Amino acid sequence: MGYFSRLIVDAAYFISTSDAYQRKKRFFYNVLENNRYSHKKYFDIFMMTLILLSVAILIAEVKHEVPLNIIFFNTYVISIIFFIEYILRLWISSSVSETLINKSENDIMLGREFSLLRAFFKVFKIKLHYMLSFRAMIDLLAILPFFHELRLLRIFVLFRVFKLFRYTTSFQIFVSVLSTKKFEFIILLMFASIVIFVSSILVYIMEANNPTSPVNTLFDALYWAIVTISTVGYGDVTAVTTQGRVVAMFVIVAGISVLAFTTSIVVSALSEKLDEIREMKTIEDIRKLKQFYIICGYENVAEAVAKKLKNSTKNIIVLDEDERRIEHAKRDGLVALNYDPGSVESYKKIGIDLSAQVKSVLCLRESDVENVYTTLTVRSINKEVNIVSLLMDDTNRNKLNFAGVNEILYPKGLVGMIAKELIGRPVAFEVIHALRNDYYGVNVEEIFIDERVSQNSIYVGKLGCARFRVVLLGIYKKEKKRFFFNPLDDMLLESGDYLLVVGNVVFIKDFDKYLHKKSVV
Amino acid sequence: MKKKVVLIFGYNDYALEIAKNIRDTYENILIYSLNEEFDRAKNKTDFEVRGFDLSDRWDDIAEYVDFKNSIAFCVLEDSAQNIFLTISLRSLFSDLNIIALSNNKDTANKLQMAGANKVIPLVQTTAEIISEMMEKPIVKEVFHTILFEGGALKITQIEMNGTNPYLGHEIFELDWNIKYGIIPLSVIQEDEKNEFIYASKIKHNRVKEGDIFIIVGYERDIQEFEKVLGRRDDVNWRNWSR
Repeated sequence: MGYFSRLIVDAAYFISTSDAYQRKKRFFYNVLENNRYSHKKYFDIFMMTLILLSVAILIAEVKHEVPLNIIFFNTYVISIIFFIEYILRLWISSSVSETLINKSENDIMLGREFSLLRAFFKVFKIKLHYMLSFRAMIDLLAILPFFHELRLLRIFVLFRVFKLFRYTTSFQIFVSVLSTKKFEFIILLMFASIVIFVSSILVYIMEANNPTSPVNTLFDALYWAIVTISTVGYGDVTAVTTQGRVVAMFVIVAGISVLAFTTSIVVSALSEKLDEIREMKTIEDIRKLKQFYIICGYENVAEAVAKKLKNSTKNIIVLDEDERRIEHAKRDGLVALNYDPGSVESYKKIGIDLSAQVKSVLCLRESDVENVYTTLTVRSINKEVNIVSLLMDDTNRNKLNFAGVNEILYPKGLVGMIAKELIGRPVAFEVIHALRNDYYGVNVEEIFIDERVSQNSIYVGKLGCARFRVVLLGIYKKEKKRFFFNPLDDMLLESGDYLLVVGNVVFIKDFDKYLHKKSVV
Repeated sequence: MKKKVVLIFGYNDYALEIAKNIRDTYENILIYSLNEEFDRAKNKTDFEVRGFDLSDRWDDIAEYVDFKNSIAFCVLEDSAQNIFLTISLRSLFSDLNIIALSNNKDTANKLQMAGANKVIPLVQTTAEIISEMMEKPIVKEVFHTILFEGGALKITQIEMNGTNPYLGHEIFELDWNIKYGIIPLSVIQEDEKNEFIYASKIKHNRVKEGDIFIIVGYERDIQEFEKVLGRRDDVNWRNWSR
């Protein structure tokens, strides 16, 4: 390898391993191409605004005098922004350094002499492939109004409208739906082309020599054929001879068929893909959520849990491989996907970050086999996420623990414990049950003491519980992992503490607000 | 002689869990298995297992059970059979305390209509605990310890005696948390309705002899409190719906 080639390859290795460079490239990729990136929408809105402004200026220019600075903005500023965007897209479309490295490594492995020229030719081919793509062509045409002096090029402003499609996902979905019927559309197009071709020639032959006929040229005949087959029929060019009218009759019938077929193809494509489109939309919405619970399996307990958690600030996503149960979940107003919670593929499709977005995975199938399987699947993807599972048979407890469940709930054991309480302290049990369920408007709540509140050095005695008619049941000190029941007045509240407060729901809310608002005690 | 007995109808995991949990409290525990399952069930557990069917032949039970002080758990897995069993027991033994297990809200209503004193709504309770685990983990932990685990913190029922110094005091003025280290949660007064201390409609009610307070506190504080103000009333079925 020559000195210069080695220098270039070394530079490629340097760029490819440079964190700063990769971070920048990833940032531009996220802004331009990654629909999951939360800030991309702002960029899209900005670009769409520029496009609409550009078109509005073009329209205004037709009959009005537009100030020079606006024309300057339209011609240069917007065009330069589009040009920068085009260059950035070209940059992120593929990695030059990686192509060079791959080429050099391949050549070394195969014992060939590394040719810098061939490597750059490969890079050029890859970039050219991108530049010739439909989207890139539209981007390029949208920059052309920069050459404002060439009046014809001004019309290219309209290509900017096509750029709008880049920023609207619904249009992209529509195009992808229609592309599933590509074969049908090609057949239809061929049929329409043959009809137009044959009829225009026939009409030309039959009408061109008739002095009263408006069809004088082959272009007139072609225009007439297209206007007729599309069933628009302007009436400016018509067939006047009997033979020409016979042809017109055939073309009209063919036109109706073409229109009917086109409509039916579009409708069938949409109806076939409707569920998929809805699913895509649901997944897109899920990806935007900050924190949610995943309920795996929608049976009786899951349904009741979902009802309870619905009031929570966090969302609930239901996964179940059974279509009937998913329909049930949807009827209950939940976000539900007909995905197998025991399949890694399901989580890949949803594309969520289990650590950051999922508060807990609830394995609520009424089958230990299914719950163990789902737990193992989730654990294989993420070691940290909290997993809670139902246990149906106590002999399977170890299996669930081994699979990686954090918390297990055994309903049959619960019945035993409840039975014991019911025969010993029935009223006490009822009281706790009522507190848990917010009966009579009285509830028990956890109030978190954050750093801001703790900075005020609040002592229990100065909390003012009596004023808000709430009772402080105790304080949970997270650091010590200990619950202090009925704490003494001189206990200091620290950051990370939780107050357990009993009282009317409204009073507790007031108390919470007061605690977080008050500046100094 | 008639005995205080716990009758558990249905031989299944629920029955065994109930039996395991109450064996320290009740000496006589009988598990009744439906005849068709009896042969499989009889030698599999330490508890006494007897067979039964859903006809009205309950003469042997009537002979030795003190119904007023006994409890029947109806935990058959088939909801229809469980309801039928509850209604059969109620129609014959009006004094028997019946606790029945239900899997859904519909069954719970029917069991109550059939005469169960108390229904354990299994699905709802499980869901309650799971959602509490998620949303209020500390509340769940504290309540679980108070209710189900033998920790130092207890919840209990205290009946006010005629000599206690708080008679005539307004309920919201009570300072038991400062003086005795216990927190009252709710009270049952003459009308026998359970009301939370914090409910506005009872805050001006006065403490009367015979009121039952549900209090939370450490065992030693509760004992002190008991000495001064009242006596522990461990079993109280009065406010149970029928």
